[in-house]
Amino acid sequence: MNRRTLLATTLAATLAAPAAMADDWPTRPLTMVIGFAAGGSTDIQGRVLARVMEEYLGQPVNVVNQPGGGSAVAFTRLKNTTPDGYTFLFGGTTALTFTPIITPVEYEIDDFEYLAAVAIGQNAIVTSAEQPFSTFDEIIEYGRENQMTYAQQTPLDEAIIRSIAEQEGLDLAIVPTGGGGGMAPLVLGREVDFAYSGGTHAQYTPTGEMVVAAFMSAERSPFYPDVPTLIELGYDYSIEDYRTIIVPAGVPDEVKARLMSAAEHASTSEAFIDITEGNTFFPVVFIGQEEMEENVRRIRAATEEVMAD
Amino acid sequence: MNFDAVGAAAAEALTLASFIGIGGGVLLGYVVGVIPGLSRSVAISIAIPLTFYMSPYIAISFLIGLSKGTAAGSAVSAILLNAPGEASSAATALDGYPMAKQGKPKTALQIGLIASVLGDIMATIILIFVAIPFARVALLFGPYEMAAILMFALVFIAGLSGGSLFKGLAAGGLGIFLGTIGLDNQTGLPRLTFGYTELMDGLPLIAVAIGTLALSEMFVQSERLRYDRANMAVTLEHRPDDRITWPIMRRILPTIFRGTGVGTFVGALPGLGPSVGSFMSYGMAQRAAKEPERFGKGEPKGIAASESADNAVIPAALIPLFGLGIPGNVSAALLIGAFAIHGITVGPLLLRDNPELLYSIFAGMILASLIMLALGWFGLMVFAQITRVPPHVVIPIVVFFCLAGMMLQGYGTFGLVILLGFAILGYLMKKYDYSFVTFLVAFIITPMLELNLRQSIILSRGNWAILLDRPIALFFIACTVVALVMLAWRSIRTGKPPAGAPAD
Repeated sequence: MNRRTLLATTLAATLAAPAAMADDWPTRPLTMVIGFAAGGSTDIQGRVLARVMEEYLGQPVNVVNQPGGGSAVAFTRLKNTTPDGYTFLFGGTTALTFTPIITPVEYEIDDFEYLAAVAIGQNAIVTSAEQPFSTFDEIIEYGRENQMTYAQQTPLDEAIIRSIAEQEGLDLAIVPTGGGGGMAPLVLGREVDFAYSGGTHAQYTPTGEMVVAAFMSAERSPFYPDVPTLIELGYDYSIEDYRTIIVPAGVPDEVKARLMSAAEHASTSEAFIDITEGNTFFPVVFIGQEEMEENVRRIRAATEEVMAD
Repeated sequence: MNFDAVGAAAAEALTLASFIGIGGGVLLGYVVGVIPGLSRSVAISIAIPLTFYMSPYIAISFLIGLSKGTAAGSAVSAILLNAPGEASSAATALDGYPMAKQGKPKTALQIGLIASVLGDIMATIILIFVAIPFARVALLFGPYEMAAILMFALVFIAGLSGGSLFKGLAAGGLGIFLGTIGLDNQTGLPRLTFGYTELMDGLPLIAVAIGTLALSEMFVQSERLRYDRANMAVTLEHRPDDRITWPIMRRILPTIFRGTGVGTFVGALPGLGPSVGSFMSYGMAQRAAKEPERFGKGEPKGIAASESADNAVIPAALIPLFGLGIPGNVSAALLIGAFAIHGITVGPLLLRDNPELLYSIFAGMILASLIMLALGWFGLMVFAQITRVPPHVVIPIVVFFCLAGMMLQGYGTFGLVILLGFAILGYLMKKYDYSFVTFLVAFIITPMLELNLRQSIILSRGNWAILLDRPIALFFIACTVVALVMLAWRSIRTGKPPAGAPAD
């Protein structure tokens, strides 16, 4: 969609909608799309968020799972829905900041608007508590003497670790794991030396079996205050992910405002904070549209740079 | 064993919701089992989408209850119609139908029911005591062991599924090929997706399963619509002497114990299904009997042997599933999909990370057996009436559930197109005698096999010597080679496929 048609749709939608819409909206049930199967961290967070939002908006918010291609399927469908705000997506931003770089997809960043982020993704490098190393520096130190193995989950974390390994002169073999569920047994069984974790570590660090060696996110996690980020360690890489409420471009301003205030309400709701921080160890935040639009484009540019190497 | 978790599990198993869920599963299974032509895997593949709205514990117990119900229900049509509701109850018909003809249909049905329930409960208890230590050992298994075991399971299942070796290879090969569709799990590059975003995660398992198993079976059934079974049916009358008595019970009890043992052993091996179990048990009972000539003429022991083994296979097939995450047959493979829908990875870590769930499922399985006894005992006459429902009523209903179940998956019309494609494929495979069981198991195992094989090759850095430190992996590789050689040898020498029955 180019800018002119975008403007035209916005205009048409605004004209068609009666002015009184702001307060009455929504007048019928809403649909929250989740781009992953039921049961994952996005789904768990999304379902609680939906419950909190429906209290605020006074209409039911139905959760629909559209799994496939790390949310690429859900974004493709979302792009083709009517931009009336009744259908919105809740999920991470990697399907926009990363997937299009390596896979041909039918959507782009400009097809959507990023209304509000309510939680920050926690990407980390983990290892087993029974290994002779536990910090990232110790891993590098050990790797200078010994052959090492790393378990990846996305081509992005693989690219980052590969370039750090080259920089530090490590002899590293990298294996795929097919997700957090496949990563855990490899790390705990010490089949691999260290691994990427998108959040699975929340399940295994409290028992003391798994240690977080470093965070790949831009900032330290409040739940592991002593673990540094890669950037702090002197490697200029990060994987940022924001759990965001996303609508197709062209939703009327009043409707967007209603959705944003519902999200803001959720970010202070005890039920949402309990689940998100307590069960998944994702810090709850509220980041408005202006900052999120900027974030998504900044992360995309940075990711393109990493993947170009 | 963690007793807090066991207590909590028992408490959860006794809620009203679980009674309704599991009872519903058993009831549905019983009905499906009674109707010849509607098989267990058809029912499970249609029922998985229905479990979306249940808690994981109830969803899984519902599906297992359904499996158990089909195994018990299939005896009803075997005894009354001489047409087993499941292939695995064919051995039951050998003695059940003659006994019913002799004016004792109710006794035969009661023997079948009691053998089913006892076999089921005992095998479930064995599962509970075997799966837990097994899962502990299995935690030591790395990618090498998993790759070797998966390879072995694939060859074993292919070899036992009947048909010619080459047709088996073709079916398995097609399954492996279609299993590679989707994003590459390391580089994220699309493979064979032809630009369809929907194919990025591969062909949806539910569409492939419902298509090849359920919908295609309805095509086959509609072809056979003219098959008339009304005149074969035995009518049930109320007769005071037509019921199971304590002397009969005492006579068949040792047979039931033996049948359970055989069924559990067969079920725990990947690839061997309840049909193998029930026929093996029947054969052993006949050999052990003092008067073997009475078998086939209405011998109660024949019914007891077949039904106890048939039912014991169902829980036993979960031993490799819960222990290793490897499905022993198609029904167990479909359960992996059901677990995945609820965000749970089946395997040794399930016991460690989610013991409450596993204990709850065990408790639910015991509950399912008891519900099955109650339903079967008091509803015997009602279920017997189901044998009269004509296929032209059954088929359209099943077709509707196939399509509705697919729509619930959220793949839209794309899912329906895939479903239809696989229904046609399944129909052709059944028509030309290619093993769809081999096809489906290969399709389901391929992503796991690929990942583990890839990990093994990368981690070993291409060094074969690493296998010398991995005796379990080495053992299974040897088994795979032996199985392959034997299969090839037998089919070349005799020109005939090795004996076997469908793996479900």
